[in-house]
Amino acid sequence: MDEDVFDAIVVGGGFAGLSAAYRLATAGRSVLLIERGSTCGAKNLTGGRIYSYALRALLGERWHEAPVQREVKREVLALLTETDAVSVESTLTSADQESYTVLARPLLAWLADQAEEAGAMIVTGTTVDSLIVRDGRVRGVRADGDELEARVVIDCEGINPLLLEREGLIRRLDPHAVAVGAKYVYRFGSAREVDRIFGVRPGEGTAVLGMGAVTHGVFGGVFCYANTDSVSLGLVLDSAEWKASGRPILDTAEALREHPALGRYVDGGELIEYGAHLVYEGGYDTLPAFSGDGWLVCGDAAGLCLNRGFTIRGMDYAVLSGIAAADTVIEATQAGDALPSAQALTAYGTRLEQSMLRDFRTTRGAHDWMSSTIDLFTVYPQLAVDAMAALYHVGPEPLTPVGTTLWRAARQVKKPVRTARTLLKGVRTL
Amino acid sequence: MSGIDDLLAVTGFETDEHHPHIVIDPVACRTCPSDRACVTSCPAQRYVWDEATQQMSFDHVGCLECGNCRLVCDRLFTGADGYSWNYPVRGAGVDYRQG
Ligand SMILES: Cc1cc2nc3c(=O)[nH]c(=O)nc-3n(C[C@H](O)[C@H](O)[C@H](O)COP(=O)(O)OP(=O)(O)OC[C@H]3O[C@@H](n4cnc5c(N)ncnc54)[C@H](O)[C@@H]3O)c2cc1C
Ligand code: SF4
Ligand code: SF4
Repeated sequence: MDEDVFDAIVVGGGFAGLSAAYRLATAGRSVLLIERGSTCGAKNLTGGRIYSYALRALLGERWHEAPVQREVKREVLALLTETDAVSVESTLTSADQESYTVLARPLLAWLADQAEEAGAMIVTGTTVDSLIVRDGRVRGVRADGDELEARVVIDCEGINPLLLEREGLIRRLDPHAVAVGAKYVYRFGSAREVDRIFGVRPGEGTAVLGMGAVTHGVFGGVFCYANTDSVSLGLVLDSAEWKASGRPILDTAEALREHPALGRYVDGGELIEYGAHLVYEGGYDTLPAFSGDGWLVCGDAAGLCLNRGFTIRGMDYAVLSGIAAADTVIEATQAGDALPSAQALTAYGTRLEQSMLRDFRTTRGAHDWMSSTIDLFTVYPQLAVDAMAALYHVGPEPLTPVGTTLWRAARQVKKPVRTARTLLKGVRTL
Repeated sequence: MSGIDDLLAVTGFETDEHHPHIVIDPVACRTCPSDRACVTSCPAQRYVWDEATQQMSFDHVGCLECGNCRLVCDRLFTGADGYSWNYPVRGAGVDYRQG
């Protein structure tokens, strides 16, 4: 094969692209990764908390060197009204899933170093303009007026798959399958200060997830993560529903910092970044074809992100899909100089079916269920707040029995039968 | 509360004033088919509608490159005449330090 034809060109140096490049380089394949940001991590934004099994799958025990922030030891689930909150807090010592808070920039910059050390070529500050398609087969990419060829192109361009859309290789991104996220990062003077704010032992992490009236009845949620010496605070809103609501997104994001239950986590910190990014939440039935003639697609570009309101998982699936794509290409390019057939690349889809797509099938319909169950974001948080307020109320009037208090609050749920049926459906889909 | 300018002032940018990566037609926006959703759906408040002059104004500097306007605006999505949505080139645009 031509000397200037790479085994693989990877578009995008996010979690998916860097994982694919690292894996390919480790297996001795020639791989070029092109990233439009000035460095890997410059264009990326996440919540975020990463489930560490994915980093372990990529790096083995060496993942412990990765610049993650804090191990999550305390979970807070907050039901929020416009002004109040009721939170459930857990400190489960037997949590079966290790997870860490992260900031995307430092982690991706580090992953890029690992991929380069393994032998991957990484070019940054370069936007791929289009895919080269010849005789129906993707043969490479065009960038900065150059044409670069590869036996396979691995598309990891993220949530807006412009390159694949332009070639008609992927379905039209549906606004109903996408949420918009906005995020603030506040820096504190020391890690101890962050410990104190979250009431944890030194270095322990907290993840706060909130749902309720703060999103004005729209499917979505708010998140707050304790990082080493900073705090991430943000919200995620269904794009199409938000458009229909006609409210300015910025006002709603800004209101978070004023909410007594959330603002306290960032009070006294210095705002050091504001950012926004889309989140894929379409679920199993909206996923595209994962490969074609000469190409594979991973991570957000392939819709491999689950938004369940109280958790978002995209980073771990991006890493795992990058690994699966690389393994497929490694296998398919074993035969020397031939161009791998489209048929050989379908092994990638099979790998996904046997692994992460099981999660996507389990949660099929979850997003539809949650977004059509407006009560989740309005009635239940109000109910929880009313019940707590009533339980702890002390005044001059005679005491009301606890049972009566709770029943009064519960009666406010409209249409209890419908509610019961809705909940049953939700439990099944989640 | 702070305005959007205060928020964007703390975020890193490699600004390229002269090459807007997103292009709209401020006059054609008068006949918007998408409820002028760009105004409320842009988390960086880059789109401003002036009711008096019936003009849309858009400033690509400060865009966070999220892609939400492309989704909510039909003309941007379909690349109608006078409308296009691209990522910036040569490392320009937002430069997150935290992410
Ligand atoms: C607000 C928010 C909260 C989230 N919370 C969590 C969480 O807590 N846990 C979790 O697991 N996931 C979370 N996610 C999802 C997670 O961040 C994503 O699923 C994950 O980052 C996707 O990785 P990726 O590599 O597929 O895409 P990206 O990280 O977006 O990478 C795509 C890369 O491609 C580059 N690129 C694009 N086009 C081109 C081009 N033409 N030429 C060159 N380069 C290009 C981009 O610059 C970018 O670096 C969250 C997302 C958001 C927005
Ligand atoms: S949504 Fe599109 S067409 Fe409508 S005003 Fe905004 S940019 Fe113009
Ligand atoms: S890409 Fe996002 S930040 Fe940029 S103008 Fe569009 S909606 Fe606003």
